[in-house]
Amino acid sequence: MSSAIVVGYTATEAGADALALAARLGNALDAPVHAVIVLPAAENNVSIPADAGYDRLVADTARGWLRDGLARVGGSGIRGHVRPAHGVAAGLVAAAEEFDAGLIVVGTGGGGPRGRHRLGTTAEELVHAAPVPVALAPEGARDIAVDAGLPRITAAIGTRPGADVLLESSASLSARAQAPLRLLSLAGVDLPARVDAGLTRLTGQAHAEEVLETVRAALPPEIEAHAVVGAGSDIEDAVGRIEWMPGEVALVGSSRLAQPRRLFLGSTAGRILRALPVPMIVVPRTSEAS
Amino acid sequence: MTTSRNGASPAPDSPVTTGISNKGLRVGSIGMIGAVVIGISTIAPAYTLTGALGPTVSAVGFQVPAIILVGFIPMLLVALGYRELNSRMPDAGTSFTWAARAFGPWVGWMAGWGLVAATVIVLSNLAGIAVDFLFLLIAQLSGNAEIAELTRVVPINIAVCLVFMFLATVVSYRDLQTTQRLQYGLVGFQILVLLVFAGAAVVETMNGNAVDPSPVQLSWFNPFEVPSFSAFAAGLSLSIFIFWGWDVILTMNEETKDPDRTPGRAATVTVFLIVALYLVIAVALLMFAGNGTGELGLGNPDIQENVFFHLSGPILGPLAFLVSLAVLTSSASSLQATFVGPARTLLAMAHYDALPKKFAKVSPRFFTPGYATIVSAVVASAFYAIMRVLSENVLTDTITALGAMICFYYGLTAFACVWYFRKQWFDSVRNVLLTLLAPLVGGGILAVLFVTTLIDSASPDYGSGSQIAGVGLVFVITVVIIVVGVVLMIAQRIASPAFFRGETLGREAPASARRRRTS
Repeated sequence: MSSAIVVGYTATEAGADALALAARLGNALDAPVHAVIVLPAAENNVSIPADAGYDRLVADTARGWLRDGLARVGGSGIRGHVRPAHGVAAGLVAAAEEFDAGLIVVGTGGGGPRGRHRLGTTAEELVHAAPVPVALAPEGARDIAVDAGLPRITAAIGTRPGADVLLESSASLSARAQAPLRLLSLAGVDLPARVDAGLTRLTGQAHAEEVLETVRAALPPEIEAHAVVGAGSDIEDAVGRIEWMPGEVALVGSSRLAQPRRLFLGSTAGRILRALPVPMIVVPRTSEAS
Repeated sequence: MTTSRNGASPAPDSPVTTGISNKGLRVGSIGMIGAVVIGISTIAPAYTLTGALGPTVSAVGFQVPAIILVGFIPMLLVALGYRELNSRMPDAGTSFTWAARAFGPWVGWMAGWGLVAATVIVLSNLAGIAVDFLFLLIAQLSGNAEIAELTRVVPINIAVCLVFMFLATVVSYRDLQTTQRLQYGLVGFQILVLLVFAGAAVVETMNGNAVDPSPVQLSWFNPFEVPSFSAFAAGLSLSIFIFWGWDVILTMNEETKDPDRTPGRAATVTVFLIVALYLVIAVALLMFAGNGTGELGLGNPDIQENVFFHLSGPILGPLAFLVSLAVLTSSASSLQATFVGPARTLLAMAHYDALPKKFAKVSPRFFTPGYATIVSAVVASAFYAIMRVLSENVLTDTITALGAMICFYYGLTAFACVWYFRKQWFDSVRNVLLTLLAPLVGGGILAVLFVTTLIDSASPDYGSGSQIAGVGLVFVITVVIIVVGVVLMIAQRIASPAFFRGETLGREAPASARRRRTS
């Protein structure tokens, strides 16, 4: 993950969730944060004649929202920007390029129950196409203090290709934030009903523990890591049974369906997200260097 | 940390920067065809003609083509001034802001009020026309003619209209967008259907199937054949309505590919297209239906409020549903452009403290004037419902009242242009023409039209003949709108005097460039 963080801000609760998470990550990682309000470009709407006066007024209003939002999180390292674009996701990706950011943060609360994610259009587009990792801030992320840091990083390790980059990212995040790393495997959960469930689950779990041990052995010694194997009737159930600390973040890797250097939230990751009460960071499968 | 390419923040201590003008996303994005399409879709010729043709015939008889040609002149003159103001001080409040800058807060407030009232009225008329055609379309497609008559049942009519309003509000509030291809397709379809409609009317007349065959005469194009000045004024204020919306093309400057040429060329192309289309249809329908008061004559008040509704069947037979579809899509695609008018003006007024702050609220998710949009929709719906109950001929009366309101605020805008640029009139020949002569003459014509319409409409026979206590309904509507405006203005003055003291939007007049150069 490179230095800066771009956060997609709106003057809504979801926007406040995103900004608070970005500010906290910025603090913990000592990274500059750029809060961006993406406005629809005037020519987006072909039914409405372009009106420079109104566009200017909206831009002024947006700057006011940014000032208020930044004042609330009180982050001195945060800058606000207003950018017009054809779509919010496209605008945030462009902003990430402009500010050389290695992470895009968006809110997924949208008025849902506390601690829950609900992917809106923007988040949906980002987790299926962004060229950099994307962090999703659940409902209520705004209530965690900006200087609370990261109590723990959880990496959801699968057995499929892609885990290497995920592990790298998690390890480097854990090192930079000085947070312990937890490795989570859900490999034994959610097997087809037709196979002998009990037996398969057992072998699955045994396999998962093996994988986790290998992974942990490969980590640099200074990283404190422990492993946990999820168990439950399905992924959501398993994620729900695991204990989560307020303020920790979970990392998942992109699906194999992803284009090179693009995100694609796979179905398992999507199901994890449904039950996850903490922010999720989706990382690409292939590293930027490769 | 990467510094912003877009330069400094607005204030040295502010962490907020902007990249509005130099990201290359906006500049040069709208080409000529795009501008023409936006113009035509905003004017919505299918909707405009079906609403305005009848009332215009009722005012000037066979001289509709003449009035269409003449009606463009004041529109053009005022639009030239409008463009000067818009390029000098682009502002979401348009007429409101400019009139306040030129004449001070009170006149500015009333100009804004006039704009809001005119667009709210047109919203209700637009929805009313759409309701008629929805029922007609269902009747045509199902082959059950009785369904078309459901639109005459007042409670059903009002209920369906409210549903339309609700949908339009959602579209506007959430800034839902049609694709460019769809928009082009809708505009092309609209023009094509109108041409087929006109062509069929001519062919039917040639074949001797016309209701009241009336051969074209040169006198139809001669404005001096209009019997009285009152009739002329009434016709003219209606034909201003049919060109209303055309001016938006002239004001799209920095958004176009070539700001020096595109808007001018697009506006010219659009106006030629629109005038040609209007003339062809007006002439064709006059040939077919005549000016008589028979069942399908254009002089019959029962069909005047919605001409295409009554004539598409007799002219096109089984293909008549195409006209219904064209009017429906025409209304739908101009609805959003119409909605932004009052909503943005209300928002700008509140922004300058001329209305309660609530109106200044911009939706943080959709970046639309959320509160103002909803208020506009509620008022337009209420206006429609009240008018539907009060008036015998609601569409005719709203269109006529609308003509008067357009004259009112457009005239004020034209005079604002003249007065605002008073120190620069003689800087160049161009300025003499565009900031003095054109808007002064245009504004003068509109002022005369407004006063004439107001005086004439006091008669109970005016318009559809609806009246309240012996006074014409159009007069009552116009006066009530203006009086309500004055009352609200005074209320706002008491509640929040800053705007009326000129603290938020002061008077100004840009200095002459010549004097600056010599001094």
